[in-house]
Amino acid sequence: MLGVVGANGAGKSTLLRLLGGVGRPTSGQIRTQGRIGALLDLGGGFLGDLTGRENAMLAGVVAGLLRSEMKARMDEIVAFAELEDFIDEPVRTFSTGMRMRLAFSVAVHTAPEILLVDEYLSVGDLAFQAKCSRRIAELRGEGCAIVMVSHGMDQVRKLCDRALWLKHGEVAAFGAADAVAGLFETEMKAETLRRTPDVARRRIGDGPELVARVNRFGTFEIEIDTVELQPGGGIRSGGPLAVTLGYHSSTPVAGAVFVVSITREDGTVCVDTNTQLARVEVPEIDGKGSIRFTLDRLDLGAGAYFLDVGVFESTWKHAYDYHWHAHPFTVDGGAGHKGLLAPPGEWRIGPG
Amino acid sequence: MNAQPTSTGLPDATSGRRWRHALDVLAVLTSRDLKAQYKRSFFGFGWALGGPLLQVIIFSTIFQNVLGSRTENYACFVFIGVLVWGWFQGALGQSVGLITNNAALARQPGFPLSLLPHVTVSVRFLHFLIAVPLLFGLLWWNGIRPGIEWAALPLLILIQYLLTVGIAYPLASLNVLHRDTQHIVAVLLQLLMFLTPVFYNIHVIPEHLRRWYYINPMVSLVESWRQVLLEGRWPDFGTLAILTAVGGLLIVAGRRLFIAQSHRFVEEM
Repeated sequence: MLGVVGANGAGKSTLLRLLGGVGRPTSGQIRTQGRIGALLDLGGGFLGDLTGRENAMLAGVVAGLLRSEMKARMDEIVAFAELEDFIDEPVRTFSTGMRMRLAFSVAVHTAPEILLVDEYLSVGDLAFQAKCSRRIAELRGEGCAIVMVSHGMDQVRKLCDRALWLKHGEVAAFGAADAVAGLFETEMKAETLRRTPDVARRRIGDGPELVARVNRFGTFEIEIDTVELQPGGGIRSGGPLAVTLGYHSSTPVAGAVFVVSITREDGTVCVDTNTQLARVEVPEIDGKGSIRFTLDRLDLGAGAYFLDVGVFESTWKHAYDYHWHAHPFTVDGGAGHKGLLAPPGEWRIGPG
Repeated sequence: MNAQPTSTGLPDATSGRRWRHALDVLAVLTSRDLKAQYKRSFFGFGWALGGPLLQVIIFSTIFQNVLGSRTENYACFVFIGVLVWGWFQGALGQSVGLITNNAALARQPGFPLSLLPHVTVSVRFLHFLIAVPLLFGLLWWNGIRPGIEWAALPLLILIQYLLTVGIAYPLASLNVLHRDTQHIVAVLLQLLMFLTPVFYNIHVIPEHLRRWYYINPMVSLVESWRQVLLEGRWPDFGTLAILTAVGGLLIVAGRRLFIAQSHRFVEEM
């Protein structure tokens, strides 16, 4: 299984297309052996007025199966897509997720010997995604060669044997998935650093001083102007915590990802979340706005921490604005604990 | 340079399977196109009759009653013209947008795109076929009974199929690169209808121009249908042989050209 990584427009999808025999390379040659299946534009060929079953048959035959073979697999396909109750309804009544599930199900049941995958993990809910991953792993176990385009380095590390990093249509690195994913991440960080302009030092309210390239990185299409921690007086272990980021953008930016993380002084990451992981739809940002992240309970042990906040480009190519170790805070309370966590607990001595 | 994906040594990649798969693709896509067209309409496929019937009524009224055409059995005469021409015009009119309207199929790895013109021509052929019983009924009503000469009809259908698919190939690939094609083709087809004896008799064409007139293969085809159905005569097999050869040549050359171009389709869309 090969992972293909790279920035947008680096030629990842073009590579998949060429592997699929759609189009012809200007130079060089492509040799493939076996029937090719593709998870490229899922459900793109579906017709709204036809039923799910009719569309599935269509997609399967178009992908290279005979009608009789599709009939034999139909029940399995419908069951995998979890669409038993809807399969005879017109596809126009399906949600986008249902369409994608059906398309994915058909594609993985056509017994491909080579499978081309473009960012499949955005299909359906988390449970279904896990099922997709299992099915892909199964295909891989059966000897299917898989080429997967991905922006998620964790996914590449977990699923792929080898990875290919494309940069402006050329091979930047090719080798073990771990190594290439690591290189790619390092380069992304360096890219952010390189792009960070030398802006004047700035103070946020009465808060810390932000210095570009020291504790502040980004390209500043979006800037985080205020970072507010609540409750303001003092943060107590086991109490609630709210982080409100005030931001503004000079130009409209779509698909931005907000990140909030809490790190201990020694660098241990305690909380690390972002709007992409949490599946929060961030609308296009134009002008001023604010975003708030709340924790009902902060069960961290007492001590000194850093709040790191940032807003990133939709594919994590670089940061717009990232405040690193710029917002220190302390957690009080949590008596009776020495470790990282201080969840509520009690000792009770029994009679024996 | 070897750019085509080659599948070798697979038990199921035999040519027998390829043919069966091609037929299945044809069947599935043809039924898709028919269903998509008629699924949400009450009369459904019956609408395939609407267009031709309306044309026959209009032409009959204008040419027989207003202009006083003296052609015998004019309704039958014009019905044959409308049906045979309708298949040709409908199929080519739709073929132009084949690739541009089926981008998802064009992007599917390993999909035999060269089957698409067959799909469109077949869909229009089914439209043609559903109106044929109506034509036979009209003939019967006008006192015309089937004869042995009707055995030539399948040959006429085959020739028209070859010709239409053969012309559809270059039109569809040209339209990907130059979207003007679809507009030009629509105009040309309209013009060509007047240059085909759909609603008039070929005798109105001056003798010295007729040689040129016959360059349009649809002239001979429409004429042949009328010879068989209205006059109970065998068509001119010499002409049909030439048309078969032309049709065969067009389909082979057209397919070649189409396949040679097909690697550019996705890029251009």
